[in-house]
Formats: sequence, C-alpha cells, structure tokens
Amino acid sequence: MRTIQTEVLVIGGGATGAGIIRDLAMRGFDAILVEKRDLTHGTTGRYHGLLHSGGRYAVKDPKAAVECIEENRILRRIMPHCLEDTGGFFVVTPWDDPDFGDTFMEGCRNAGIPVEEISVAQMLREEPLLNPKISRCFRVPDAAADSFLATRLNAESARAYGARIWTYHEVRDLMMDGQRVIGAVCYDLVHDEEVRIYADMVVNAAGAWAGKIAAMAGLDVTITPGKGVMVAINHRVLNTVVNRCKMPSDGDIIVPIHTVAVIGTTDVKVSDPEHFAIEPWEVELMLDEGEKLVPGVKEMRILRAWAGVRPLYQETKAVDTRDITRAYTLLDHETRDGVSGIITMTGGKWTTYRQMAQVTVDRVCEKFGVQRECRTHLEPLPGAEQHGGYHWLGARFADVERRQAYGDLICECELATREDVERAILEGDAKAIDDIRRMVRLGMGPCQGGFCTFRAVGLLHRLRQPDVEEANAALRDFLQERWKGLLPILWGQQLRQERLDEFIYLSVLNVDHLPGPKATRLAPVMYDPPTGEAPQGRV
Amino acid sequence: MRMNTYPDVIVIGAGLSGLTAAWQLAARGHRVRLITKGWGATHWHSGCIDVLGYFPIGNTPPVSLPRETLATLIANMPEHPYALVGIERLEAALDAFATLCHDAGYPLHGSLDSQWLLPSAVGAFRPTCLAPETMMAGDLSRHDREPMLIVGFERLNDFYPELIAANLIKQGHLARGTLVETPTLRRQKAINTLVLARLFEQATFRAEFIAAVKPKLGKAERVGIPAVLGFDNALAIKAELEKAFDRPIFEIPTVPPSVPGMRLHRILTRAIERAGGDIRTGMQVVAADTKGDRVTTIWTEAAARRVPHHADTFVLATGGILGGGITTTYTGEVREVVFGLPVNAPTDRMAWLYRDVLDERGHPIFRAGIRVNSSFRPLDGETPRYTNVHVIGTTLDGCEPLRERSFEGIAIATGFAVQDALPTTNHSTSA
Repeated sequence: MRTIQTEVLVIGGGATGAGIIRDLAMRGFDAILVEKRDLTHGTTGRYHGLLHSGGRYAVKDPKAAVECIEENRILRRIMPHCLEDTGGFFVVTPWDDPDFGDTFMEGCRNAGIPVEEISVAQMLREEPLLNPKISRCFRVPDAAADSFLATRLNAESARAYGARIWTYHEVRDLMMDGQRVIGAVCYDLVHDEEVRIYADMVVNAAGAWAGKIAAMAGLDVTITPGKGVMVAINHRVLNTVVNRCKMPSDGDIIVPIHTVAVIGTTDVKVSDPEHFAIEPWEVELMLDEGEKLVPGVKEMRILRAWAGVRPLYQETKAVDTRDITRAYTLLDHETRDGVSGIITMTGGKWTTYRQMAQVTVDRVCEKFGVQRECRTHLEPLPGAEQHGGYHWLGARFADVERRQAYGDLICECELATREDVERAILEGDAKAIDDIRRMVRLGMGPCQGGFCTFRAVGLLHRLRQPDVEEANAALRDFLQERWKGLLPILWGQQLRQERLDEFIYLSVLNVDHLPGPKATRLAPVMYDPPTGEAPQGRV
Repeated sequence: MRMNTYPDVIVIGAGLSGLTAAWQLAARGHRVRLITKGWGATHWHSGCIDVLGYFPIGNTPPVSLPRETLATLIANMPEHPYALVGIERLEAALDAFATLCHDAGYPLHGSLDSQWLLPSAVGAFRPTCLAPETMMAGDLSRHDREPMLIVGFERLNDFYPELIAANLIKQGHLARGTLVETPTLRRQKAINTLVLARLFEQATFRAEFIAAVKPKLGKAERVGIPAVLGFDNALAIKAELEKAFDRPIFEIPTVPPSVPGMRLHRILTRAIERAGGDIRTGMQVVAADTKGDRVTTIWTEAAARRVPHHADTFVLATGGILGGGITTTYTGEVREVVFGLPVNAPTDRMAWLYRDVLDERGHPIFRAGIRVNSSFRPLDGETPRYTNVHVIGTTLDGCEPLRERSFEGIAIATGFAVQDALPTTNHSTSA
C-alpha cells in the first residue's frame, strides 16, 4: 500500500477532469488526477466528436447554446490542432417541420451563434451525397473534435505544470473525518495495490459515475446516465457536420471525424453507467435516420458501434432525459449537504469542458481562500503553436509523404507509423494496446486491428520486455476490445473482414493457444448482451 | 490454350479448393475453365496443409495422430466434409498434392500418422500435417532441446523475433531472437515479406544476410527466419544458407501476404495451365441462367461488360464468408452469391456471434455453409437443387475450418474428390 498527500485530488480522467487538473496546475495547486481506466475511457472517448456551435440547443436550451458558442470560440483558439474546421449544416428534410427553420435562425441569433441560410444548390455543391429533397440549409460554425487528443494534451500541459496523472487507479472509497472528506482509497490495477491519497479537497469529475463517487461520502447526487449509441461508417460520406434542423432527437446528426463519419445518437435512460447494452433497434434506428440525410448509408460498410453515457444531472426527478439541461452543474457539498472537502462538477458536454473546469477551480480557490486567475482560455494547449492551424484530413498522409515513411506503417488503415506507436509506448506510457489506440488511432480503421494488433504487441514486447504472458494477454485483450464494438454491426463486408482477422490470429498465428492468461485486469469492459426487444413507444 | 473452346467444367474461385479441383480435373482430361475475381486464401495462409489441428475444437491439446482423430470426427460428424470425402480419398488428395509439389522442386513432408508442431510468428506451436521442407527444422515435437536463433529484420513490421523466442522459452524451448540489417536493406524504402523474398533470390543479398547473421549464431543449433526465402528456388536458397551457417535453417510463416502460400499458388496454376486448363482472373460471377435442375450459363462481369460462360458442370469454390461466396445482411439474410443456393446458417442475427472473440466454440455464423450430398451436389432439403453444380472447399456446411485448423485439408480433399462426382471424359489429356 502507498500513501500520498496532495492539495487537490481530481477523480475522473475525461475531458472535464483533464481540464480541471490543467487549470489547477496552472493556478499553482499541487494536484493529482486518478482515472479508473485510461484517460477518455468514459464518455469523452465515446461520443461523436462534435464541437458544438450551440445550434443544436439554440431553441431548446438557450443557456447551453450560449455556453457552447462562447467555448467554441475559445477552443478554436487554444486547440486548433485538435479540431477540424468542417463547419456545420442544419438541414430541413421532408420529415421535419419546414417552419422550424425560422425558429432556429432566431434562436441562433439570440444566442450569438453566427448563422447563414444557404441555397440547397449550394449545399449540394459542397456535400453532393446529402439528400436532394432537403428544403433548407443553415450554416453554423460546428466543427469536428478529436476528444482523445484534446484530453491527452490537457493532461500533458497539466503534467508540465507539475500535476500527477494516474491512470488505471480506481477509487474504491472516500476517506472521511467526521463530515469532511479527506481523501480517497484507490486501487492501482496495473500494480495490483492499494493507494491512499490524502487531499485537502476532492473534486468529483467522474461524469456519469459522479453519483457513485458521491455516494461513497454518503452524498445523494442523482445522475441520470443517458445512453447514446453511435455508428461509424467506413467512408467519410460528408466533410461537413450535418444536423437535422428540428428539436434534438435520435439519429439526427452525422459528424465527419478523421477517416470516418459517425451517425449519432440515441438517448436512453440507463440505471448504471457501467452496464448497458447496444440494442439492435438502436443500430437500425441510426441507419434509418442516417439514410434520411445521406441516401444509401444503409448499404455502406459499417465499421463499428459504440455507446457512451451522458452525465445528465437535475435536482428534480427527470422523466425524458432529452429534456434535462445540457448546461453543467457545480455542487458544493459543504453548502448543499454539510459535507466539506468535496465538490462535484457534473452535467455539461465536451464543448464546454474548459468552462466547467474554470468554474470548478474558481470554487477550489474560494475554498482555499486564495485568488488566482484562470488562464486556460489564453494559453494554447501543447503543440498548437508548432502545428499552426486546424487539423485537416490529409495531415497524416502528408506527414508520411514528407518523411517518406511508406514502409513504416504499423496501422495502414489510420496511417499510424512505427515512430508514432513507439512514442505512445515509451513517452505516452501506454499500458495496454488500447491506450496506444487512443493515442495514435491504431486499429480504428476498416480492419479493426486485423494487422496492427500483432505488430503493436511485437513492438510493446520489444520496447518494454514484459513477461511474455503479459504481452500475449495484451494481444488477446485488444482483440476483445475491438470485438466489443464490432458485435452490434457484424454483417456484410465487415463480417467477412472479421473472418479474415480470425484467419490471421487463429490459423496463421494460433494466438488462442499461446501461454498466459486469457485476459488481464485491463481487459475491456463489455457492453451487456442486448435483450433484442424494441423499447416501449418505439417500433 | 483453348480460349474459345466450350469447357466441360467451370470452376468458380481460385483458392486452394478451386485450384486443386481445376488442376485435378484438367489433368484427367476435362476441358476446364477457372473463373475468379482474384486470388484466394493461398496468399494469406501459412503455406502448410493443416488437416486437423484441434478436435474437439477449443482449448484442447493439439491432435497428435490425425488418422485416429479423423476416424472419430467422421464417426461423430457425418455432415463434415471429411466424412463426405473419407480418409482414403483425403490421403490420396494429400499424396497427389505432395507429389505435385515434390515434382516442382518444393517438397512437402508429413502424413496422417503424425503432426508437426511448427512455431508461428508469435511463437505458438502450430499443429500441421504437411509442411514444406523449408519449415521442417522448426519442428518442436521432435528436436526440442536444440537451441534456436530466431532472426528478424530491422524495420520489418511483420516479424518480431524476440516475441517468438520469449514464447518458445515459456513453452520449454531454448531460443533467442535477434534483428539484422544489411547495406541493401538500409537502402530500401519499404521492407516487407515480398520485398525480402525478391531480395533473397539475389546472390549478393544472400551474401550480405549470411555476413550479418554469422556473428550472431552463438550456440544456436538451428536458425529460424520469416518465410521469405524466395518464390521459386526456396530449397536451393535454404541449402546455401545452411551450408554457410553449418546449421539447419527454417522458415516461419508470416501474416499475409504469404510467400510460402504464393509458392503453392504458383505450383498449382502452372499445373493447371500445363494440363490445358484456362484460368481467367479479374472476372466476377454475377448471375446464372438455369433450366430445370441444371445451370446452363454463368455470367461474369469485368470492365463493366457482361460475358456468358456455358459448361456442362459447374464447381463452386468461392470460399464461404471469408472468400466472399456467402454474404450476409443486417436483416439476418445469409446468401450464396452465385446460384442463390440454400445456406445452412442461423437466421437470427442475435445468434450469430458469441461475446468472447476467441470463444472456443467458434462463432455460429462462421459455420454458415452449403449442405451437399456425397457427390457435392448442393441440397435443397434432401434433394439436390441442381444436378450439374458441385460445391467444394470452405463454402461447405458441417465444419469450422479455422477452429479445427482444417482449412487447407478440407480445401484440398474436396477439390480432389469432386472429380469422382463428374462424368468421365472422352477428351484426351493435353499433357
């Protein structure tokens, strides 16, 4: 058992937690962040990758809309290299109320979101695959965001300012001294040991898990996990974020992100952020709705499906999760519950993570009785200046060409080079192949790890020299991790691809008969088995 | 070539089963046309002939006496392709295949009475029945105490000698891994197994390789390298290296593309052409005309042009889900693409897959296959759907070729045995 003392302990390694630890470190606090898996393992790593303009909430949730456009401007300044400036369309399809367009325009103007109606002909010039039956189109400053990279850079910046960030550290309990939280008992999954972290202040930024953390201090924080299912198409069918111009609903958005396009999303209340299924009706709904925006989507090859849980918070009991505000909430448990030493930041969305961090750390400053100014909106994230401008789709290929690195591709689908993977292992401190994936997009393309899993394990073994049984288990873990997101969408060409991957791993390599455990403690947490039932009110 | 002659038999698909069938039928005097969209599993597989590695499938020890276990399999699984073929014909098929390779200067060794355990590219033991001579010295079942040196190449992404060695050590063998580089390799922009295979065909590169490896030999008594010892003269190249090292050398099959698989491919396509067979690639079969219980014509599409092909008999060797001969949709439909033959598969998509990717039982959908009678005629219920269509290879029902490690065995056995179902020919052989 290890025991550590710090000023502030942040629980949760998603966008919010990483934003908070950076802000804390920049304001001179001694801080530690613990995350039970890898950074972005939770909701941050499982959303569609949209930087909101606020248009989506312009009519329904004006407060959230204002927050979005404010942060949209800031993030474009501090992390352009994590964003692709795709722009966004809101389109009125034959299934939508044609009058909603005017309401939408007005909502955008009220929230301060730049909006412009363009002709359908112009829309089709820019996005020829969009449904020609679309009647109106509005342009807003949506963008595509790499939430993996952004979170990692927040963490990198925090580390540079002296923070410590410990992944694979699961909070098992909060330590109390009377009505005061004094730290957390953590379990280090990698080293299989307990770690006690004493802190003057604990910041609960566990997102959809925040209720579980709060309960460890006897606090009642009701988070309604709202499950969202997303489906990635094996083509970048659009280069612009496209939203349906209507009240937010299921399957009404397609985001081009890196080499794929993502259709999102459902919103289903689940009881537990850890245990939920991806139901066949959810995948089919995404395809049916996607078809309305881009005819033909249903016949395309689907790469993968995944689901994240939105951390929706409301003090009063909620019925339909879509009606809960997307704006965030800071809970000061000292004033709310009479328990000091802990605050909870929850709700919100990826786009507003920085503002949420700022508000949180402002409160931490108050608690410590110090005045230190936030600078996260001024100081760019690491690499922004060298990179010079937004990310663009061809960037990786241009880099491979510049370095003539054609022979060095470990993951051909995503153009991840040996150098990238080696850096992820050595400098990025990757503990599992899945960690390398989040850093360099390894295994995220059409073959879903068919060729690169073996190579990544070979490199991991060469560079780290772990016991070979660990390397074998890491290989099996990653095959299983990819399988997790393939299960809901395996048919057609993607099913054939999986059979080829089986051919390689069973027939050629025989990995199912390698020595070592079947899986490790770092193995993926699977979705629940689908029930196969259609939900009430939906057929 | 009889490009414009009306063929007796059209074989659809150029994986191991299609190639074997075309070769055997052509050699027996049939006018054979092989039509294929592209090359099949020969370019992916290990280059060995796996007949039966695990039975029952799962985390069992490998089959050590294939003949005995095959008898059990046949007794218990009457629908299995091996049950349709029988051990005798399986053995005849393996003998014929081994003879073909031997005559081509690329001998395969092994029989149904023993199993080789050859190291894979991660250092697992692969159970296999027939293996090329270039891989023999890697056998782990017989000379287990001889220390091995596993040699890889700097910048070759598909071979990690340290990982192989570590796994071999874990399983009780003596092994060491090392990487080499040579002046020629330093000048190469990209290094992969095909590049290396071409380089090994050059004497100057072999000299560089020998110079790089020699100082590292140490106490190793045998040397393992990725399977890249050239395409056409692997045996001679191996002999040259063995002489220089004064030790046996063995190839380890790599992930695709497979150099030893391509060697078998070359041997088979040459045998087909020598016997007068006509191979047409780049042609996808898109439709078929039928009359009663017979198929009269198939239509191929290439360069956006449809072309009809008539024949008396059609042999379907399109390789199931892996080969693209069986497709699936999100509604749970499972379809045989050329003739629309009935496929035996679970129709409920929820029952297609298990939650564990390496589930020992094998995923039910990957057993999707065509049920056939003893003459490989596809069945609709209990009667043949067409009298002049025969289905072979891993499109067949009743097996799980990857979990059983029977992929090549089933392909060659059924590709060989299908000739018995065809009428004997009046044509003389062209050989």
